Amino acid sequence: MVARRRKQAAAGGGGATPSPPGYSAVPVKFSEKQQAPHYLYLREHKVREGAPSSWPQKRTLFVLNVPPYCTEECLGRLLCSCGPVQSVRLQAKPDLAESPEEPTSKFFHPKPVPGFQVAYVVFQKPKAVSAALSLKGPLLVSTESHPVSSGIHKWIADYAGSVLDPEALRLEVDTFMEAYDQRTAEEEAKAKEEEGVPDEEGWVKVTRRGRRPVLPRTEAASLRVLEREKRKRARKELLNFYAWQHRETKMEHLAQLRKKFEEDKQRIELMRAQRKFRPY
Amino acid sequence: MGPAPAGEQQRGAPGEPEVMELAQEGTGKEGKKASSKKRAAAASPADGLLQPVKLSRAELYKEPTSEELNRLRETESLFHSSLLRLQVEELLKEVKLSEKKKDRIDAFLRGVNQSIMRVPSVPETELTDQAWLPAGVRVPVHQVPYIVKGCFRFLPPAQVTVVGSYLLGTCIRPDINVDVALTMPREILQDKDGLNQRYFRKRALYLAHLAHHLAQDPLFGSVRFSYTNGCHLKPSVLLRPCGKDERLVTVRLHPCPPPDFFRPCRLLPTKNNVRSAWYQGQSPAAADSPEPPTPHYNSWVLQDTALESHLQLLSTMLGPALGLKDGVALLKVWLRQRELDKGRGGFSGFLISMLVAFLVSTRKIHTTMSGYQVLRSVLQFLASTDLTINGISLCLSADPTLPALADFHQAFPVVFLDSSGRLNLCADVTAATYHQVQHEARLSMALLDSKADDALQLLLMTPKPMIRTFDHVLHLRPLSRLQAACHRLKLWPELQDNGGDYVSAALGPLTTLLEQGLGSRLHLLAHSRPPVPEWDISQEPPKHKDSGALTLGLLLRPEGLTSVLELGPEADQPEAADFRQFWGSRSELRRFQDGAIREAVVWEAASMFQKRLIPHQVVTHLLALHADIPDTCVHYAGSLLDSLLQGLKESSNTGEEALAAAVRCYDDLSRQLWGLEGLPLTVSAVQGAHPVLRYTEVFPPAPVRPAYSFYEHLRERASLVPRPDKPCPAYVEPMTVICHLEGSGQWPQDAEAIRRVRAAFQLRLAELLSQQHGLRCRAAATHTDVLKDGFVFRIRVAYQREPQILKEIRSPEGMITLRDTPASLRLERDTRQLPLLSSALHGLQQQHPAFSGVARLAKRWVRAQLLGEEFTDESLDLVAASLFLHPEPFTPPSSPQVGFLRFLFLVSTFDWKNTPLIVNLNSELTVEEQAEIRSSFLAARTQLPVMVILTPQDRKSSVWTQNGPSAQILQQLVVLAAEALPVLEKQLMDPRGPGDIRTVFRPPLDIYDVLIRLSARHVPRHRQAVDSPAASFCRGLLREPGPSSLMPVLGYDPPQLYLAQLREAFGDLALFFYDRHGGEVIGVLWKPSSFQPQPFKASSMKGRTLLSQGGELVMVPNVEAILEDFAVLGEGLVQAVEARSERWTV
Repeated sequence: MVARRRKQAAAGGGGATPSPPGYSAVPVKFSEKQQAPHYLYLREHKVREGAPSSWPQKRTLFVLNVPPYCTEECLGRLLCSCGPVQSVRLQAKPDLAESPEEPTSKFFHPKPVPGFQVAYVVFQKPKAVSAALSLKGPLLVSTESHPVSSGIHKWIADYAGSVLDPEALRLEVDTFMEAYDQRTAEEEAKAKEEEGVPDEEGWVKVTRRGRRPVLPRTEAASLRVLEREKRKRARKELLNFYAWQHRETKMEHLAQLRKKFEEDKQRIELMRAQRKFRPY
Repeated sequence: MGPAPAGEQQRGAPGEPEVMELAQEGTGKEGKKASSKKRAAAASPADGLLQPVKLSRAELYKEPTSEELNRLRETESLFHSSLLRLQVEELLKEVKLSEKKKDRIDAFLRGVNQSIMRVPSVPETELTDQAWLPAGVRVPVHQVPYIVKGCFRFLPPAQVTVVGSYLLGTCIRPDINVDVALTMPREILQDKDGLNQRYFRKRALYLAHLAHHLAQDPLFGSVRFSYTNGCHLKPSVLLRPCGKDERLVTVRLHPCPPPDFFRPCRLLPTKNNVRSAWYQGQSPAAADSPEPPTPHYNSWVLQDTALESHLQLLSTMLGPALGLKDGVALLKVWLRQRELDKGRGGFSGFLISMLVAFLVSTRKIHTTMSGYQVLRSVLQFLASTDLTINGISLCLSADPTLPALADFHQAFPVVFLDSSGRLNLCADVTAATYHQVQHEARLSMALLDSKADDALQLLLMTPKPMIRTFDHVLHLRPLSRLQAACHRLKLWPELQDNGGDYVSAALGPLTTLLEQGLGSRLHLLAHSRPPVPEWDISQEPPKHKDSGALTLGLLLRPEGLTSVLELGPEADQPEAADFRQFWGSRSELRRFQDGAIREAVVWEAASMFQKRLIPHQVVTHLLALHADIPDTCVHYAGSLLDSLLQGLKESSNTGEEALAAAVRCYDDLSRQLWGLEGLPLTVSAVQGAHPVLRYTEVFPPAPVRPAYSFYEHLRERASLVPRPDKPCPAYVEPMTVICHLEGSGQWPQDAEAIRRVRAAFQLRLAELLSQQHGLRCRAAATHTDVLKDGFVFRIRVAYQREPQILKEIRSPEGMITLRDTPASLRLERDTRQLPLLSSALHGLQQQHPAFSGVARLAKRWVRAQLLGEEFTDESLDLVAASLFLHPEPFTPPSSPQVGFLRFLFLVSTFDWKNTPLIVNLNSELTVEEQAEIRSSFLAARTQLPVMVILTPQDRKSSVWTQNGPSAQILQQLVVLAAEALPVLEKQLMDPRGPGDIRTVFRPPLDIYDVLIRLSARHVPRHRQAVDSPAASFCRGLLREPGPSSLMPVLGYDPPQLYLAQLREAFGDLALFFYDRHGGEVIGVLWKPSSFQPQPFKASSMKGRTLLSQGGELVMVPNVEAILEDFAVLGEGLVQAVEARSERWTV
């Protein structure tokens, strides 16, 4: 196998596995049986001074190239030898900015199918990070004591997991809607309070809830108004009244024909190039 | 005497067209110059992409020249549009002979003339004494009976004349034929040579001697025999130049009698010229009955005498008019694309020229008309005139001695008399052929009138081979059976008239018989015309049975196919006897509900599939009954592909019934939804959105009856779950139904809140359906699954305004604008466009019962080629629908077979780059709107997907092809279709049987880099494979309905789950191909671009590893690990991963 030979040559020449600056490479395998490992690339999570980050400085390890069968628990288990792990989070892409804490509901935001991911691992102590960076590996995702299921077993488990409890769903919907109703009621009350009350510069805000309905401020509505104006103007205009208008319409017709002719010629040219005129 | 006139004519006649040709080329060159200038400007159309035209203002508004105005006016008055005019001009350029070639042909003709005159004479011998013939040549006719009176000697021809289309300038490429008439000297012929084939025997001997001597001339590359117009009594010699000009031209030599040799009154259609006594070899005393007339024989003799007068007529009529010649050339192309002009009894180019002459003489065509107008007028005339009832005549004289048209109608099916009033030009044309011509003319007129953009393309450039035109095709083989049929049908006089050609004799009666039998099921019956053979001069002429098989094409009437009953007359009527005689033992007396007792024939057909095949039963029954042709000789190609739509162990239907059952169940459910009490808002619409509900699911769902012991139970959710230790359970796909709820002020105006409200409705629906109708339901946040009569439906609640709310964006000024977002587009597609499409296609199925079969076969094929995942269901359905809505130049298919062939043809020839496929559902788009769509398509081409399918509901964006296929995948499909089509057509047209019809459904596997073999145990649809396995696994189903109802396992298909994982993990490194219908292998193609080493980048590290290459760190795919991942991710499912590593390098 060409690929393998080359890889061996590279590995033999370099001695250690190459890794980009700042990262250390740790081989990871699914199980003992797997021959060729993937490599996790580990680095301490750092951001520039002053930039906000949701991950605690010094204690966070950034992991690149996490294989799809490696789950959060599993990664936590693999790295707990370096020190106690506080949290593990897997993401599709690395993000430096604050990751929005979405309310992840298992009903409305089902977990997507994982690919290769990145992980942020927060340790309890900073020194665990340096210990992790010097890991040798190879790490095993699935061991006899902690088997990780894949394939048929995983899909069956996923299927069983996808059959959800309707009662829990009802509960979640109800709580959400209660909160929502409360929020809208508050907003409405506030709007009502402001209705007709001029602000400090004396402007009165006109809302949909006023006594007289007003045009909604949407793009479609303003386009409609413009269109109506245009039509009105067109109706008033005289067509083919003056001699020059007559001349111009004729010329316009000729120009149309010319344009059509040019287009047709281009099509013919193309068809000739494609030998479309060979009938058989 | 001899050569001079020929030479003169050769030089004289083409002289004129030369000038005209030059004029034409002049305009052509101008056009070319202008366009080449433009080509440079418009970024070279060499890449095959049309660009929107940009013309400067000055160019658009400059003063027109008078030439330009003239041309524009001409285009407007003579053609339909400038595009049409340009197309016609281009086409004519392609088919007409160039001057250079004409010169070479003229030179060759002079050589032919000289060699013919050099052939030595032979002394007189008896006709039956043929010992003088040299060894290397055989007489090119069958001399049956051999004994004939008369003497023969060879003398060089009295005159050699070029006749036919070459002189008129209407011959078209690629087969250039020049007809040369050789006038035999009077000394050769004797009185009464018109009798008993004597003239034809002499003619044949004349040619035999001639051919022998010409064969020794080095001027000729080949000298062969053939038949004039396929008539087996009239051979001709074919001469081809030697060397590189071999394919340039074929010169055909036709001997003819000296002028006024035969007395025309002897050759009228009512006269007999083949005596029964001679023909049957009996003594004259035995024949006391009157001799039967021999109209065909007579007209063959007459044809030879009229060669020159026809030429004269045509050259005076067409000679000076350029437009008429163009028209004839176009008509010839038209005939040829429809395979109407070839073979014995075809509607030849000569006939069409004579027809144009006739229309000129009746002032229906004017000499100043353009070629396009001539084409139109002739088609119009053909479409509206039935020559089988009202014959026409070129004869203007009112001579009372001339026979009446009625006499000709008695003798011939189609009547078109020449200027002498004695010769029927359509003598050999059968009624079926003429009806086919008429049918084609009607279709073409409709197409031209529709003002379609590509009318000319469809009319003149699209071939219409028999197998792709007709719904069912049947082959009669061996042909020798027809001889027995002739005797059975008592066709002895016809045999005598046709000189023993039993194929021609039987053709007419057989087609009439079948037409009568098929009755209302039939739209048109056409037959193949026996091909004109060509053979070496040293061989015996081919026998009648050597022309292979007789092929009949049936164009069916879909509405007639639904009835299994052939209703006859009432029992006491006199016609009842005829009916009984016609149908034989199949006819039986039946009592009907209205009390009538009638003769009737009932065919056994329960399913749609069997009903489509009733014509097969009719044909075999009638042929066996009336013509002694057993069903082993009838090879019926009408349903050979249907087996690919049949489920396991089911050969009696193709699933239409099962689909209808599912749709009925859905109708029930929708009624229950409408009538549901206790919903806070009322249901405003229930719409199906699943292929089953528009009849296009390849394998229709069967009611599920799970065997509970086979599953794990989830008691509290009343659901079944697959067990890891058992084979994968049967695949059950829930059918999506969209349920719109009425709009109301109660709906929240926030996207997240709407989702929660919808979820609440899903829960409520489940509750109410199980309370009020006792259905097993399972609700989730986005859908409710309902189990009803074994079918599972997935009801999705939708709110009309939701897509709009998702679109709303508030600008900083507080203005609300609507912008498409991915989420809004997806929602709109799923809840609005998909139901609309489904109902439109459902309607199409009601109009065209074959739609389901065609769409499913097409989908089946695409999926079998492992490309199914790249094309959405809807896009393939739309392509299939376009075959029904825009069938031109064909008619809408009435059988899955022909529809599938046209699907392959469409896919392989459609220009996806430059044209959108417009599917005019419900004919909502007008011609103008379509033109507008086309032009806006060109302007926006670069933003549109590779494959663009537009419908009245979706005029701009091509929703169903947004996410694929990619250009490469589409190209692959085009290539596969182009390969499959000829293979399949050859199989179906093979009269010995199709062989293995599944060949074109097996995908090529050698193109893939890695093959992942799956274990059949976990492929739930294993049985659906193209080559259905002999044994498979138990899938946990019962034959009988089980006791209670737990929700079965839904949508659990391990290969699909596996593929989803693979695509997510390795999607940017490789492509994965799989046939969801029982595929046991996944094909993997590496993306070449991903194998390029790239510099390190954190966000694209996925599955790659680092290498130091030349001191630099680069990323390359970690192929070994990935290959092992393939096995790890699919544990239990994957059997083996075969890497064909020789195909790639890292």
